[in-house]
Amino acid sequence: MKIVIVEYGMGNIRSIVSTLQYLGVQDVVLSSDFEILNSADKIILPGVGSFGKAITQIRHRNIDNYLNEIVLENKKPILGICLGMQLLGNSSTEDGNNKGLGYINGYVVKFDNSLVKVPHVGFNQVKVNNKLKLYNGFNDIPTDFYFTHSFRMKSDVEINQCYCNYQEDFVASFERDNIAGVQFHPELSQTNGLKLLKNFIDKF
Amino acid sequence: MLRKRIIFSLIYSDGYFMQSRNFRLQKVGNLNWLEKNYRFQSIAFALDELIVLNASKTEKNITEFAKTVSDLVNDVFIPIAAGGGIRTLEDAELLFNSGADKIVLNSLLFQDPNMVMKIIENYGSQSVVASVDCKLNLGSYEIFINNGTKKLDYDIQKYLIYLEELGVGEIYLNSIDRDGTGFGYDFDLIKIVEDITKLPLIIAGGAGNENHLAKGLQINKVSAVATANLFNFIGNSIPNARDYLLDNGLNLSNRVFDTLDLI
Repeated sequence: MKIVIVEYGMGNIRSIVSTLQYLGVQDVVLSSDFEILNSADKIILPGVGSFGKAITQIRHRNIDNYLNEIVLENKKPILGICLGMQLLGNSSTEDGNNKGLGYINGYVVKFDNSLVKVPHVGFNQVKVNNKLKLYNGFNDIPTDFYFTHSFRMKSDVEINQCYCNYQEDFVASFERDNIAGVQFHPELSQTNGLKLLKNFIDKF
Repeated sequence: MLRKRIIFSLIYSDGYFMQSRNFRLQKVGNLNWLEKNYRFQSIAFALDELIVLNASKTEKNITEFAKTVSDLVNDVFIPIAAGGGIRTLEDAELLFNSGADKIVLNSLLFQDPNMVMKIIENYGSQSVVASVDCKLNLGSYEIFINNGTKKLDYDIQKYLIYLEELGVGEIYLNSIDRDGTGFGYDFDLIKIVEDITKLPLIIAGGAGNENHLAKGLQINKVSAVATANLFNFIGNSIPNARDYLLDNGLNLSNRVFDTLDLI
């Protein structure tokens, strides 16, 4: 099993790497090279930081075009984590108005800090659906995952989303064919997150 | 529902983990010692977050500290916040690159607000924890920086508002009086702070048993309870405390899977 983590100069990937190794993935590579990305069994798009900066870095390195070919045409499985998930959506209002990769019909807006504490930090419950591949083997009960973010995704269409509630429902995860995203950090979510990552490794 | 958190704070100094009491440090053991005596990975499964603080009172060797942080990252699947001695963007970057999910700032908050804002601009509010060390003096709380050695001419209310305006993501509130005593948190201090700040509040200093943790978690605005007490929480006492708190209906996350099922 070879998992390539997309390298674009942002994001804390150390814990993702050590988690994948803990789960027995032999080959964990960090790269922004087309050939290497295309040689992966699975791709992870990480991300910590701001949306505008991230998408600029991605375009600057031509990664958007690489991923279009690898993910949309070659159908290689990809998992976006946190900001990486948001980048798979259509747009974000962080740093002005920015377009995302547009693989998923979702838009990203800031939490209303007059209603809730922002950032949303800590373990929160996701209303998981165990018919989805990401949650294979989970019980159909709200399950705790670790979040840390100030912007959240909304979607008006069906993207197999599972919701988390923080004063209001927002998209905690989605999956459509080979494309999946999680707003939370599975690599920081104890065994619940380990199980989800194992599902991405085994089921996609 | 957003869960509350149990955090263990490891105090590090020049290659060793320390027991701190009223900010006086006593050497306990290095990372191997921690692994051997605490089976750290398995204990970490009962935690929600780890904070590692570099409390070296000499020249702070951030490179060596960063190496310790990166060793810890391999052992745990929870967020790690690291801090102590961060003065520049490069210091922060080194810790983030070593696997820290957040950094903890203390003296810098007061000494170089522009640098704090620069770090926040680069890594986001959620990545910056503001550590605030307080001490009771003649009925009012004073704020200290530089490992509790320098008093600020700030009252606590003004200081917390200042921190919020700087854009930090969380407050780590520590009581120098209670630190390492095991007498329980300073709830008078917490009462003052919870009325002022809108930020997620981590309380530290004084937890000696699971009842102290419970009492902290019951406070509405407290987001997390921290303990740095290596002596009181040795062996299985952290996992046992978590079970006890969950059994008593406290709002902590549940783990559905056993590690052994996963590998």
